[in-house]
Amino acid sequence: MKYVIIGNGVAAVHAAEAIRSLDSRGSIAMISDEAVDPYCRPMISMVLEGSVAADRLPIRGSSFYESLGIQAVLGSRVTSLDVVGRQVRLGDGRAFGYDRLLIATGADPRPVKAAGADLGSIFTMRTEAHVRRMLEVLPRARKALILGGGLVGFKAAYGLLRRGLDVTMLIRSDYPLSQQVDKTAGMLIRDELTRCGLEVRVGVAVEAFEGNGVVQGARLSDGGTVECDMVVIGKGVLPSLDFVPRDRIPVDLGILVDEHLQTSIPGVFAAGDVAESVDIARKTRWVNAIWPEAVQQGRIAGMNMAGRQVTYKGSLSRNVIRIFGLDVMTAGWVSPPENDGFDVLQQTDRRAGTHRRLVFREDRLVGMTLVNDIEQGGVLMSLIHRELPVRKPRESLVGRSFNVGQLL
Amino acid sequence: MKQVVVHPERCVGCMQCRLACATAHSQTQSLLTAVLETPTPRPRIHVGVGLHAEGFPNRCRHCDPAPCMLACLPGAIRRDKERETVLIEPDICINCASCAMACPFGVIRYHEDSSAMPGRRIAVKCDNCVDRQRQGLIPACVEICKSGALTFEDMTDAMKRKTDEVARTVSQGAPQAELSPGFALLQAVKRKQIELGKSGF
Repeated sequence: MKYVIIGNGVAAVHAAEAIRSLDSRGSIAMISDEAVDPYCRPMISMVLEGSVAADRLPIRGSSFYESLGIQAVLGSRVTSLDVVGRQVRLGDGRAFGYDRLLIATGADPRPVKAAGADLGSIFTMRTEAHVRRMLEVLPRARKALILGGGLVGFKAAYGLLRRGLDVTMLIRSDYPLSQQVDKTAGMLIRDELTRCGLEVRVGVAVEAFEGNGVVQGARLSDGGTVECDMVVIGKGVLPSLDFVPRDRIPVDLGILVDEHLQTSIPGVFAAGDVAESVDIARKTRWVNAIWPEAVQQGRIAGMNMAGRQVTYKGSLSRNVIRIFGLDVMTAGWVSPPENDGFDVLQQTDRRAGTHRRLVFREDRLVGMTLVNDIEQGGVLMSLIHRELPVRKPRESLVGRSFNVGQLL
Repeated sequence: MKQVVVHPERCVGCMQCRLACATAHSQTQSLLTAVLETPTPRPRIHVGVGLHAEGFPNRCRHCDPAPCMLACLPGAIRRDKERETVLIEPDICINCASCAMACPFGVIRYHEDSSAMPGRRIAVKCDNCVDRQRQGLIPACVEICKSGALTFEDMTDAMKRKTDEVARTVSQGAPQAELSPGFALLQAVKRKQIELGKSGF
C-alpha cells in the first residue's frame, strides 16, 4: 500500500502514526512546504511572547520520519492533484503516486487588501518561520499595529505587550475574539488587555501602509494615521487547497469530508484545518480549524486509510486562553442567534471575577463560556461533545461548585 | 495490576483523602510540617459535593487513550505503561490549560507545586502515588480512607465483584449486597437537611 500525506502539521503526524501502527509495511511519504521537524503551531505565539524557547516547539524527536520509515519530502508545495491517475505533483516537477492520500495541508493567512502591504516588517503569524522573522525586528520595534482581533491578532498583541511594545489593535467588533467568546467575556478580555497597555480601536481599517522599504505607519479609513514600526496581520486563515480539483472533489470553505474523513473520491482523505466536517453543536458543515480537532481527525483519517473503519463524530469549536490574570474557556455555540429556541443561563460574580454562561437547545448543552474557575470546563465540554441530555437542574451546571459528581 | 477503585456510595465526605494526598505529595511527608511548606501542598484527589450534599471522590481515571494527553500542546503528558498511569512532566508543562478543556472529569488543577520550578504554575493531577508504590506502599488516599470508598485492588477482581452485585439485583430472591445502614442514614440526613434548608428552616 502506498500512502501519501500532504502536510507535516499535527493532523499529518497523527495520521502517519496511526497508519504505521496498523500497517508496518506500506510506504508512507509526507510532503510539506515547511522544511522543519513537526512542531506545535499553537505555541509559536508563546515563542513571540518569550515564555517558551523556540527549541521546545518540536512535537516529536528529530528521528520522527526515520523511526516510522517515512519518506520526508520537505520544502516543496504540491501544485496539482490527479485523482484519476492517482498522483500528486510538486512545484519542482516531482510526482508521487498513491493508493491512499491524505490532504492535511492546513491553512494560510488571509491576505490584507491595502496599499503597501509588501513593505518590510509587515507580518502574518502562522508558522515558526514567521515568528523567527518577527523576533529579528523586535529589538528595534517600539510600536506595533495589529490588524484583527481574532485568535492570531489577540495572541500577537498579547505577546508584543509582554515584550514591552506599545500595541494598537484595529478590530471590527467592540471586543477581541468575537468569534470565540460572548460579549461579557469579550469585554472582560478587552479591559484586561487595555489595563496592560493595549489600545483598541473599533470599526477602522487600514487603507494603506506607509514607509520607506520598512513600514513606518498606516493610513486609516477614518482619515487618521497610526505610527508603527511593525504590523501583524490577523485577518483569519483560509484552507490551503489551491491544488485541489474542485470539479472532482467538492469544496465549500474547506474540503468536504464524510464520517470517515474521506472526500467524495474513494482513497482520498482530508484532515485538520483544510477539512470541513460537521459541527456537533451547530449541526451544520463547519471548519473548526483548531489543534485538538486536527489531532483527532488525523488519527481517525489515518486509521481509516489503513483499512480500519473508524467513525468521526464531527468537530466542535473550543478554546482556552490565559492572559495576565484572566482565564477564558469556550466551547460549542457560544453566541447563537437570539430568539431561536436557545436558553441561555448565566451567572456573573464580579467579586470572584467569574462569569459562566451556558447555552442550551432543548435538553442539550450546546455552548459554554467560562471566565476564571475553568477547571470543570472539560466536564461541560464533554456534555456538549457527547450530546447528552441534561436531566439534572441546570442551575447546578452554571454554579461554581459544579463537578462531575452532580451529573450522576 | 492493582488500581484505585472508587465507590462513591460509601463516601462520607470526610476529606481525609485530600489531606493524605497533599501530605504524600509534600516535601516533608508529614502533615504537621507540610502545612508550613511553600508552596502549600495541595491534594490531587478532589471531593465534589453532589446535588444532595453527598461526597464524590474525584480523581484521575488514567484513561487510555487519555484525552488530556492528546490535547497537551508541549507533549508534557505521557503514560507510564508499567503502572497504567498518566503522568504530567512538570518541566515541560506550560500551564496552558488545554488539558482542562479535554478532561471529562475535571480532575486537573493549576498551581505551584513542589515538583515544579519555584514560582511556576503547572497542571497537577493524581499520579497514582507512583513514588509510594515503588517503595511498596499503596496510594495515600486509599490507605487513609476509613469508609471503604477508595480501595486498591486488581481491576479484574473488582469488575467480577461488581458484575456479581449487579447480577444479584436482577435475579429475584437473591440476597442483595447490603450497604451498611450507616451510609443510608447519613445520606437520608443530608437530604433532609437540604429539604429543610429549602423550606426556610
